Amino acid sequence: MASSTAPRNPTTPSLSLPPSQFARLQPHAYLLAHLSPPPASNQPSIRANGRATSQFRVTSANAGSLTHTNGSAVVRIGDTAAVCGVRAEILHTNDIASWSVLQASSEQNFDKSNEVGESKSQDEEDRGHIQDLNLLVPNLSLSTGCAPGFTPGAPPSALAQSLSHQLLSLLHTTRLVRADDLRIWYQPPNLDSEEFRSAGEGMDVDTEQSGPEREVKAFWVLYIDVMIISLAGNPFDAAWASVLAALRDTKLPKAWWDADNETILCSDDVADARKFSFCSFEGDAAAGWRAVVIPDAEEQKQKKGAQQRWILADPDGYEEGLSQERASVVVDKENGKTVIVKIEKHGGWAVDSDDLRQLVDVSAQRWDEMKRILDQC
Amino acid sequence: MVGPIASLSQLNRADGSASYKCPATGYSILGAVNAPIELPARRDALKPEEATVEVFVKPGTTTAGVGERYVEGILRSVLGKIVLGREKGFPRRGVVLTLAIVGGENVQRGDSYLTILPALLHAALLAMISASVPLSMTFSATLLGVTKSGDIVRDPSPTAAKAAVSLHVFAISSKNHLLLNESEGRFEFDTWELVRERAVSICQGVTPASTDGDVTMGEGTASASLNGFIRETVEDQVYSDYAYKLDDI
Repeated sequence: MASSTAPRNPTTPSLSLPPSQFARLQPHAYLLAHLSPPPASNQPSIRANGRATSQFRVTSANAGSLTHTNGSAVVRIGDTAAVCGVRAEILHTNDIASWSVLQASSEQNFDKSNEVGESKSQDEEDRGHIQDLNLLVPNLSLSTGCAPGFTPGAPPSALAQSLSHQLLSLLHTTRLVRADDLRIWYQPPNLDSEEFRSAGEGMDVDTEQSGPEREVKAFWVLYIDVMIISLAGNPFDAAWASVLAALRDTKLPKAWWDADNETILCSDDVADARKFSFCSFEGDAAAGWRAVVIPDAEEQKQKKGAQQRWILADPDGYEEGLSQERASVVVDKENGKTVIVKIEKHGGWAVDSDDLRQLVDVSAQRWDEMKRILDQC
Repeated sequence: MVGPIASLSQLNRADGSASYKCPATGYSILGAVNAPIELPARRDALKPEEATVEVFVKPGTTTAGVGERYVEGILRSVLGKIVLGREKGFPRRGVVLTLAIVGGENVQRGDSYLTILPALLHAALLAMISASVPLSMTFSATLLGVTKSGDIVRDPSPTAAKAAVSLHVFAISSKNHLLLNESEGRFEFDTWELVRERAVSICQGVTPASTDGDVTMGEGTASASLNGFIRETVEDQVYSDYAYKLDDI
C-alpha cells in the first residue's frame, strides 16, 4: 500500500508550478492571469505586485542626508531608491570666454524689457544664462550595481545617458532654478570706482558705466548628481523627485567679490546661507513611467473587443520589462490649475487622447501627494 | 510654405538610404539602414524571436552625447514597434539604422531635441523603406509650436522654437494611430488637444471643417499631407527604378 501512494504524492506537485516559477517561465501569461482573472474565479483585476492599476508605490523622501554637499536627498519609490547630491561651484565671469558678448546682448534685452514687460523677458534671460553657461549639470549614474543588468563600474549605459538628458531638459524647460539665485553680484563703491577700474580691472568690464552700477562677478554652477542605488522600475520618477528634494534642500553660502583680493569670498556662517526662491513648486514627474502592457500573443484577442490593455502606474522592473509602450506626464499646479510641463509617449499606439487625459488627472492627484511628501522631508 | 525634400537610395553600399531636408527648420538628415545583418555580440538577445533595432544618431560637428542617446532611445522604441521583426530572415538579426545630421543648426547640450525629431523620424522611415525592411505601417511626424499669443505654428525655426511656450512632436501612423507624442513647455490639456487635431490634419491631410477656407488651402496645395509626401517620394523612386520596364509597356 505504502509503495503505491508514495509515487502519487510527488507527481501531484510536479504538475503545478509555484507562482514564482510561473512568473519566470511565462512572464506575459503570469501578468495577464493577474490582470484578467477568469470570470468564474470572481477575483478582482489586480497587478502581480498586488497594486491596483493606477496605484503608486509607497514613496518616501529624506532631505539633507549627505553632509558634504550643499543639498541632498534620498527618495525611495518602492524598491527604487535614488540619492541626489547638489554641489555648488563658483564660475568666475573672467573664465567665461563669451562673457562680454553675452552681457552686451543682455543689456539690450534690459532696454527692451522696460518697454515690453519686465518679468517675461527677465524669464527669457534667466533661461539663456542657465542654458548658455551650463549652470546646471545633472548627471545620473546607474553603474552602482542597482540591478542585475547594470554592471558596477561600467561606462554609463544608454539608459543612464538618456535619463541625464531628460533631467537636464526638464530642468531647463521648467525653469526650476532662477538664474538670479545663481548670480554673485558686486556693487562697486561710488567714490573710487573710476580709479579702481583703471587699476587693472578693465578687462571684463567693457560696458563703460561710470556710475556705481552693480555687476555680476561670478555664477554658481550646480552639479546635480543622482545615483540610483536600487533599480526596480521607474527610474525617472525617483530621480526627478530626488532632484526636486535636493534642490529644495540646497543652501548656497553667502558669497561676495572682494575687491582687494580680487577673488570671491564665501561666508562660513550658516545663518548667512540662503535657499532658492522657486517660482513655483514644480510638480514631480507625477505619473512617471506608466507602462502600457500589450502582450504580444494577445493581438487577436484585442480585436474581439475585450479590454486587452492596461495602463499601469509606476511600473516595477518586472512590468517595465514586459511593456513596450510608455507614457510619462509631468505636471505642475498653478493656483490650483493643472499645467502640463511634459508629455512623453512612444513605443506603441494604444494610448490616445482619452487615456492621456486620464493620465493627466491621475498625475494631478499624484502631484498633491508628492508635494506633501516633499514638504515633510 | 516650402515642403520637405527627400530622396531615396543615395548611398551605394548601404542596404537602404534616404536623405531628408526640411526647409522650414533647416535640418538635413542622411540615413542609412543595413538589414538584416548578423550582430555578433547579440547571440543571446533578449527577444530571440524578433529582430533587434539599433539606432545611431551622429551630430554634424561633434561627437554624440547624452541628447543623442535620448533621441536614439525614442527612435528605437518607435521603429521597433513598426518593424515586422518576425518576418523570414529577421529573427535574431539586427536592423541597424544610422542617421547623420548633415545640415541645420547644432543641437547644443541641454537643448530640446524635439526640433529635429520629425526630420530624424522621416529620414529613418524612408531609409527603412529603401532597404525593404518589412513594416506594419508608415507614419509621418510633425513639429508644432505654441506661441505666447496661443497660435499654433507649424515647423518653427530653431529661434522660433526657443521662444515658443510649448513644443509638440506628433507622429501619426498611416492607420491614424498616435504613434509618438513628445511635448514640453507649459500648456494645458485643451491646448494639447487642439495641437493634436492640427497634427492629424497635417499628417493625414484631413482638412478640419473651418469657416474660412484659407487654412485648408495653405496646407493643401504643395503636398496634401505628410503621409502623402512619404508615399509620393517612394512612388517616384519606384518609377525611376522600374523605368526600364515601363518603357517596354
